[in-house]
Amino acid sequence: MAKWGMVFDLRRCIGCNACAVACKQENTLPNGMFFTKTLSEEVGVYPNVTRVYIPTICNHCEDAPCERVCPTGATYTREDGIVLVNHDLCIGCGTCVVACPYDQRTRLEPEMLERGLFNNGELTPFEKQGNVRFTAGTVQKCTFCHERVDAGLDPACVVTCPTEARIFGDLDDANSKVRKLIHEHRGRQPLPEKNTNPRVFYID
Amino acid sequence: MDLSTQPVQNSMKPGKWVNSTCKMCLHSCVTRIHITDDGVVNKIEGQPTAPSNNGRLCPKGNAAILRHYDPTRFKTPLRRTNPEKGPGIDPKWEPLSWDEALDIVGRELKRTRDEDPRKLLPAINDFQKLFLWAWPAAFGSANYFSSVGNFCGGGYHPMNGFVHSAFAAANDVNYCNYWINNGGGDGFSSHLHVTSAANHMAKARIERNMRVVVVEPRLSIGGAKANEWVPIRPATDRQFALGLCHVLVYEKLYDVKFLKKDTNAPYLVGPDGYFVRNAEGKIYIWDAGDGEAKLWDDPSIKDFALEGTYQVEGKECKPSFQKFKDILRDCTPEQMSEVTTVPADTIRRIAREFAKAAQIGSFIEIEGRLLPLRPAGYNFYRGAQGHKYSAMTNQSFKLVNFLIGAIDTPGGHVGATLDDQMQEIRGGCGMINAGENGMMKTMPHQLHPEVPFSYPPNETHLMGYFPIGVDPGHLTQHTLENPEKYGLNYKPDTMLLCHSNPVWNLSGNREKWFELLRSLRFIVAIDILPNESNEWADIILPAHDLLESWNLTMIEPPHHEGMCLRQPATEPLYDTKSEEDIFNEISERLGILEIWNNIQNFVNGFPQKPELLLDPKTKYGDKEIAERKGKLWNGQDLNWYIEHGHAVTPRKPEKWYRPWEGMRLHFYIEDILAARDDLKKKMEDANVAIRHEWEWYDYQPLPTPKLDPVHEEPQEFDMYAITFKDIQINFGESIGNPWINDIVFKDPVHTSVLLNTATAKAKGLADGDIVRIESPYGSIIARVSSSQGVHPETVCVSNALSRIATQNSAVRLGGGNFNELLPSNLRNTDACSGQPETVAKVKLTKLTTMPAEFMASKSAYAHGRGH
Repeated sequence: MAKWGMVFDLRRCIGCNACAVACKQENTLPNGMFFTKTLSEEVGVYPNVTRVYIPTICNHCEDAPCERVCPTGATYTREDGIVLVNHDLCIGCGTCVVACPYDQRTRLEPEMLERGLFNNGELTPFEKQGNVRFTAGTVQKCTFCHERVDAGLDPACVVTCPTEARIFGDLDDANSKVRKLIHEHRGRQPLPEKNTNPRVFYID
Repeated sequence: MDLSTQPVQNSMKPGKWVNSTCKMCLHSCVTRIHITDDGVVNKIEGQPTAPSNNGRLCPKGNAAILRHYDPTRFKTPLRRTNPEKGPGIDPKWEPLSWDEALDIVGRELKRTRDEDPRKLLPAINDFQKLFLWAWPAAFGSANYFSSVGNFCGGGYHPMNGFVHSAFAAANDVNYCNYWINNGGGDGFSSHLHVTSAANHMAKARIERNMRVVVVEPRLSIGGAKANEWVPIRPATDRQFALGLCHVLVYEKLYDVKFLKKDTNAPYLVGPDGYFVRNAEGKIYIWDAGDGEAKLWDDPSIKDFALEGTYQVEGKECKPSFQKFKDILRDCTPEQMSEVTTVPADTIRRIAREFAKAAQIGSFIEIEGRLLPLRPAGYNFYRGAQGHKYSAMTNQSFKLVNFLIGAIDTPGGHVGATLDDQMQEIRGGCGMINAGENGMMKTMPHQLHPEVPFSYPPNETHLMGYFPIGVDPGHLTQHTLENPEKYGLNYKPDTMLLCHSNPVWNLSGNREKWFELLRSLRFIVAIDILPNESNEWADIILPAHDLLESWNLTMIEPPHHEGMCLRQPATEPLYDTKSEEDIFNEISERLGILEIWNNIQNFVNGFPQKPELLLDPKTKYGDKEIAERKGKLWNGQDLNWYIEHGHAVTPRKPEKWYRPWEGMRLHFYIEDILAARDDLKKKMEDANVAIRHEWEWYDYQPLPTPKLDPVHEEPQEFDMYAITFKDIQINFGESIGNPWINDIVFKDPVHTSVLLNTATAKAKGLADGDIVRIESPYGSIIARVSSSQGVHPETVCVSNALSRIATQNSAVRLGGGNFNELLPSNLRNTDACSGQPETVAKVKLTKLTTMPAEFMASKSAYAHGRGH
């Protein structure tokens, strides 16, 4: 069984957020909600200065704090490592939102859906077909596009990334591109001090 | 249907994929569109089979669904009922039928045409249906009310026509190892198929270790990803390039063989600036081998002299290379450092690195052809070239590439056509033709044929006086303000807008533009969403969007070619029509359908395959035009395109590399002098009053280091204001799309104007302070944030903060339009190319609070955070 993971190549990321919009398309996310987004930060002092772009996503941690704290067992880890939320079990207590050290979980407030993408209280046909997945009051997050992955496809953010800064693959396969990149470039996990063992690695 | 068993992800739901092409910017990334079994468009992805965008899409392309389902779309033809017109004033639209609307448009435009066709100001800016731009020719007017090529590349496009006989140019990412990017977003944030360019750029940087040096006042995406960011004072890019040229020439780091064999650098120039010719018009060179003058094609020439001063035909003359060397004497790195603020050592080092990377003398074999390999290129675009002396500026960048022999070579700086159908059409734009005396024929007009000189001027923007430029749309404000001075014997009273937003994108004072709009008798707009311009319309004719219409195009691709299909993914949501149908109906009502069909034949290149010619009396829809374009490209019918989606292939090396083999390129552009003198004579003969004010200096065959007039504004204006765009807002209106808003207004560079941290401190400005930014021509209000990534003399205004009043409720407004700060006068317009200055000198005044009108909920400043 594969263990899915992702590598972000910080050298390639141009902070365009095509990933964020592709994700919004794929998952019909309401305004203000992101399953992935790119942060930017200026580093240095003029004229010796640059800006780093840092893609972020649910890290699908092997030891996921969100799963540990979930009182109902709604958050669970699939055999292939993908961390998901069972919305039938989620009571929206928000404990996981606080517990996630990476700020990757959002409680779906009813008004986020009701306002609609165009903020006029009406839903477009696109939203109507997409919002059926949502239960208001439950917690949402990146699913690694688990349905695409089950069908043998890459996640939506990966296929759209103009610079191929996102690489998805099997962390258990020594010959996978993700494993090679992590090995060759000494891939780093985000906030290792949190002991969550993320399945997301950054290289630069 | 049991929804619980349905996939939750949109691309996995039951439905079908339809091949199509994006139109969220002017370029043409190939897509596939997913439609559910219930007919809802729910996912757009890049087309994996397209080698151009490689299955990838930028954030705008990813946001097309929300343009389709935007509730503010024009849903039916509309008629204004509110006679009062103004920015933000509700037109109080009333729906009407297509027949009624078209009859009104037909009646009003017929009146205009009967009175004087020049009274129509058409602004038709759909780049994916370029043939529509020619519709005014059927009407009888060349009075294009447009800033489109002007603001982006007034000097850029003609200079590409002079140097490459092409519309655009790009560094050859296939082999380039040292890429200088000056004021352009190529490969990072904008221009020339940004998704594919970003893809290629990232691969070259990471997989081939290509070095990138970015020269610009603001640390852009490119600057951030580059190996080196070189901050530069705005509007001094030409002087930076001339500093590089100085080092390349005086340290003998140039490609002697290329200059002697492939350019006119050895051609002798006389005291009048023209080449020295014999009685038959043949040009002399100096043979350094035999120590005598010879005609350029004399087979006995041993060595073409590049330097020296000679006497030929009784005239003192020099090789044009020597002329440039003379100019460069006063362009030392130290002198150029004073102008640009780039340290002299940096200029010197970059020039040397660039020359070293160029591997002068090396060759590469590509498909059996031995070509010079010059893996170094100086690329540039909007910001660097958008200055008063734009022709000179563009040429200075080209000359950096000339000196290392990198023009149109593998790894170098290469010309790119507009749409690959240019051969045989539009007067041969984009074709490589032999010119006189062994030189390639220059093709400065890349968008439409030259507009003939006229007096009184037939065009309010004076295009007839810019024989080698791009329509200077901004001048319309200036000439209509001074009609007597320009001899205007008519006053425009009608406007036709088609996917064009001149109120947003023209430079000059907004209030004066509003006055012009108020003075018009009738305005019709063909569009999809409300914007700053179409809220002035009397009639709205709603167009299909990109998911509802047919088209075939490939627009401005550097590394690829081949048509891309747009086809309806869904039936039109509303009572809309294609542009083709709309112009057919208007043309029929004006009695010009036959002329229009004949013009469409010409601009689409249909005479190349006579079986594709349109019958003059028949109305052809978008599908029929698209099918003909496909057959013209590769002989395939529409079914083939529906199945394959596109005919994109990598650009053929014979088209891409040195397509002019055997001809000489224009190192020295004598044609600019000829155009100047021809215009002078025409102005003299017609006794054009403004000829005495005309900026005759602007016509130079070689660039000089003369400062642009923006630097000479009164000293109280102590800062430079520039505007910029990133990939999310690249080319056209994206603000207002919820997904674009969601990413743009979280990005600190788009939520405040940016000031250098030390400068802000020195001025007593703290993050979040409100300032008035005032130029000699206008002012805007903004919130400031400090940033280390800004040249200390610069205020950087995101294009996301430039939107003004509009009926589109989702558009967040800035504190005024950046273009307000720019002059629309002759002094700041390049008389050679028509390019207006795009940098403003400004002063900042701290305000106690943001004025109430800028703090309504629609304000960009009411949301987001500072830097």
